[in-house]
Amino acid sequence: METPMGESPASRAVGGLAVVAVAAAMSGCGLRRQLAGLDATQKVVWQSPPSDPEVLRVLNRISFGPWPGDLIAAANMGVSGYIEEQLAAKSPQDRAVSWRVNGLDVQQDVHDSPDILSSLPDDQLLTEVQQVQLLRAVYSTHQLNEVMSDFWENHFNIYALKNAARQRIPIEMETAIRPHLLGSFEEMLIAVAHSPAMLAYLDNNHNEAGNMDRVNENYARELLELHTLGVHSGYTQIDIHQVARCLTGWTVAGGFRQWQFEFKPSWHDDGSKFIPFLDLHLSPGGGVRDGEAVLHRLARHPATAQHLAEELCMKFMGVVQPEVVNAASRAYLRSNTSISEMLRPILLDGLARKERCRPIFKRPLDLLVSSLRVGAADTDGATGVQNQLNTMGQPLFQWPMPDGYPESAAAWKTTLLPRWNFASALAGGEVDGTTWKLDDCLKALPGAGMHDVVDHLAEAVCGHPSASPSMKPLVMTLRDHADSASRSGLSHEHVVSEVAALLIASPMYQWK
Amino acid sequence: MSIDKPTRRQLLSGAILSVLLGASAVDSFASLRHVIIKSEPKQDEQNALVVLFLRGGADGLNIIAPYGDENYYRLRPTLGIAAPTSSKTPTGSRLLDLDGFFGMHPAMAPLLPLYHQGTFLPIHAVGSNDHTLSHFQAMAAMERGLAEDAGDVASGWLARYLNESGSDGRSPLRAVALSDTLPDSLRGTSGAVALTRLSQFELKSPTGAGGTQHHPNDRSEAMAQTLQLLYSQSGSGMEHRTEDLSAVSEATLRAMKAVQQLDPDHYRPAAGVEYPTSGLSLALKQAACMVKGEVGLEVACINVEGWDTHVAQGGDTGWQASRLTDLSSSLAAFMNDLGDKAARVTVVIMTEFGRRAYQNTGLGTDHGRASVMMLLGGGVCGGRVLTKWPGLAAHQLVGPGNLHVTTDYRDVLAEVLARRMHAENATALFPGLHPKAVGAIKTANPAATA
Repeated sequence: METPMGESPASRAVGGLAVVAVAAAMSGCGLRRQLAGLDATQKVVWQSPPSDPEVLRVLNRISFGPWPGDLIAAANMGVSGYIEEQLAAKSPQDRAVSWRVNGLDVQQDVHDSPDILSSLPDDQLLTEVQQVQLLRAVYSTHQLNEVMSDFWENHFNIYALKNAARQRIPIEMETAIRPHLLGSFEEMLIAVAHSPAMLAYLDNNHNEAGNMDRVNENYARELLELHTLGVHSGYTQIDIHQVARCLTGWTVAGGFRQWQFEFKPSWHDDGSKFIPFLDLHLSPGGGVRDGEAVLHRLARHPATAQHLAEELCMKFMGVVQPEVVNAASRAYLRSNTSISEMLRPILLDGLARKERCRPIFKRPLDLLVSSLRVGAADTDGATGVQNQLNTMGQPLFQWPMPDGYPESAAAWKTTLLPRWNFASALAGGEVDGTTWKLDDCLKALPGAGMHDVVDHLAEAVCGHPSASPSMKPLVMTLRDHADSASRSGLSHEHVVSEVAALLIASPMYQWK
Repeated sequence: MSIDKPTRRQLLSGAILSVLLGASAVDSFASLRHVIIKSEPKQDEQNALVVLFLRGGADGLNIIAPYGDENYYRLRPTLGIAAPTSSKTPTGSRLLDLDGFFGMHPAMAPLLPLYHQGTFLPIHAVGSNDHTLSHFQAMAAMERGLAEDAGDVASGWLARYLNESGSDGRSPLRAVALSDTLPDSLRGTSGAVALTRLSQFELKSPTGAGGTQHHPNDRSEAMAQTLQLLYSQSGSGMEHRTEDLSAVSEATLRAMKAVQQLDPDHYRPAAGVEYPTSGLSLALKQAACMVKGEVGLEVACINVEGWDTHVAQGGDTGWQASRLTDLSSSLAAFMNDLGDKAARVTVVIMTEFGRRAYQNTGLGTDHGRASVMMLLGGGVCGGRVLTKWPGLAAHQLVGPGNLHVTTDYRDVLAEVLARRMHAENATALFPGLHPKAVGAIKTANPAATA
């Protein structure tokens, strides 16, 4: 199914039901914004969530969490229909979000004049590369694209604070990662292997043939271990060394072309090579074709299919399910390494089936973005929210090791306090550059009693009807809290803030 | 696992040798096999273990350099650091002589006084049995206290120690990761907390600031109470959620109360002590605050990043030197700040593996096998380099040119746990370990020293 540019699947599906885009009267805003013609604030109409908890699980994982109205819209479409529509939205361009990010200096430079990126101040670069990711995650209607963007960003992790990586990350994301989010893994792998950000991060820009085969193995090792085959696939140090020889001379151009790939024939080890694990013989004199042959073989190796399928099962199902992994790897190998074909069984036969899924603990990014979305936040994605991510332990592009931020609950669940404080800051309006509109959901209830207010907020945040048995203990506890807060003289507005904060801080909301 | 009961003779020989090792430590503990380490009797005051993990595989060969091994300069013509006696090199760029064979990186000068006092002990050619040379495999094994490959052991070695020693009546701040996330070594600890700044370890309410540490406002208190209720409702909407957050929540709330009493806002290091400005120093300062505040800290874990030196590693100056400057000056400040309490603290500095013996074409070093492990603090048999040196000649290296592991890192950890932390059966905490005495820690055990 093709999605016409500019018509986002969600808004089409939702129609006039839940989310109404209201053009805002803007004055003095940038030319780019006016041109986009989509400068809108989304007015939110709040509705009770559907009683089907399946929809919530699917939306929590296929997206960064439901925007008000999304649950009803997805329920009306049916889970499968919603998944298919997200899978079909392959274009990473989304007008719901492009006007928010296109005006940033890094985005302008990356398209118009990448040589200027190196002249931007370091702080600005670090803020803006995160800002682009965050704004897209919060506002894109092609949510699966953004979930995958985050997934690939971590799969091909680059540490922004190493060398000049922050100048190169925008190019990496725009030209190597984002064009292939749901497309061909082989094309993405090849693009990443040519990206200065990756070559410099994993030191292949220093991989020069020299005496006694003392080449630089860093990129070759992580290419096999993390990017493709996986560490348990059975390759050995010999394979790593041979792959490193194939990649000698793959480097970053010098001087003002430092955002470009360069193959230096004089650095290349042009002897014959044999990579036992790939059963790949390369004759002398292959030049840049040596590395290309390796990448081609790696992308199509069954171990790579297995490795990627397992990672994606964990991402969407919370568990590695052999049957689904096998189906996904077969689909990937059959389809010339198509990512969307690999995802289809994982989402439709895995994620969509409750008995095949396990709970997933939200990483700080998931918690932050889902709570911004659930409260229809207006955020600039800049230092205010970034400081919160930092405190919670997940500043974007700042995981030093090449394996990317962990997904496991064990890694994250010990640090609850920064999450609780984030919840308070968000509900208390203390996150700079961010306005949360959760309490708008109460406007339909003028003069409602405190218990109704609590019930309504709980439904809005948790996505379950407040009368459902799973919600009962939470709702009762929060009603008590609200009662006692009111009795202690707290204003109505402040009680609402506390209840909202407690909902975001609640154990239920830490899971998806 | 069954371990033969040691004879008195074995215990004796182990203990005596460990005392006599001295400067001639090279090759001296080959004969010490299967010696059981006896636990030291428990003291009243709580000993603390501070574990620094150098992430990325620190190059032990340039941290404690074997300048007396003729192959060192052959393998590292550019990266090798000049011998202490080298007349061609200015003094500040030469290795700091330790024993006539090993020299310490010049950036580590702040630790030299501790070496001479006998409270700093480098142990060389230490490592695991991991042959993948993958950071993640090697770290997974090491943090779980295994020889190699994590297999299905999920818990960390520190978690097993802490859980074994019981949690009744223990401090809510007994196990603290001074980082954003919990390291795998503490995985499975009941009541471990992760924090980066004690002074920010307080709950804020949305209706204004959380008050000061001493006077948390009523709203924070009310929020904390409700959170406690919410997190204790097991199964509240959690469906089949296997991970139980209630223990974490309870630990967090208890730790918050303990931190309030500690008053970290007003912590001042000892007179004359200046911590450098770095993440490591910040973490060590939090640890010092907890040790000196006697809040019952048993284990603190700190990550130190930046050791994966594939390129432009530098020699006496450069990248690795800058990491070592931070490491050494931060640790020196920490030990000085502790003052008398340093006698109760043991610092363990470990890394997932060492690096290739030879430099690569990018003037860095690739992943290797053995590295150096370092201990600091009271009770450490320091002032010497403890090693069974495997040598750097081509036939002595393993794989593509890696330093052979002659000491199992777990033997060092087991000894630290037994002799400094009073672990009842330290070797049992490391599955599959066939213990060998290392002699890294002094023993006051009369049966052993008699």
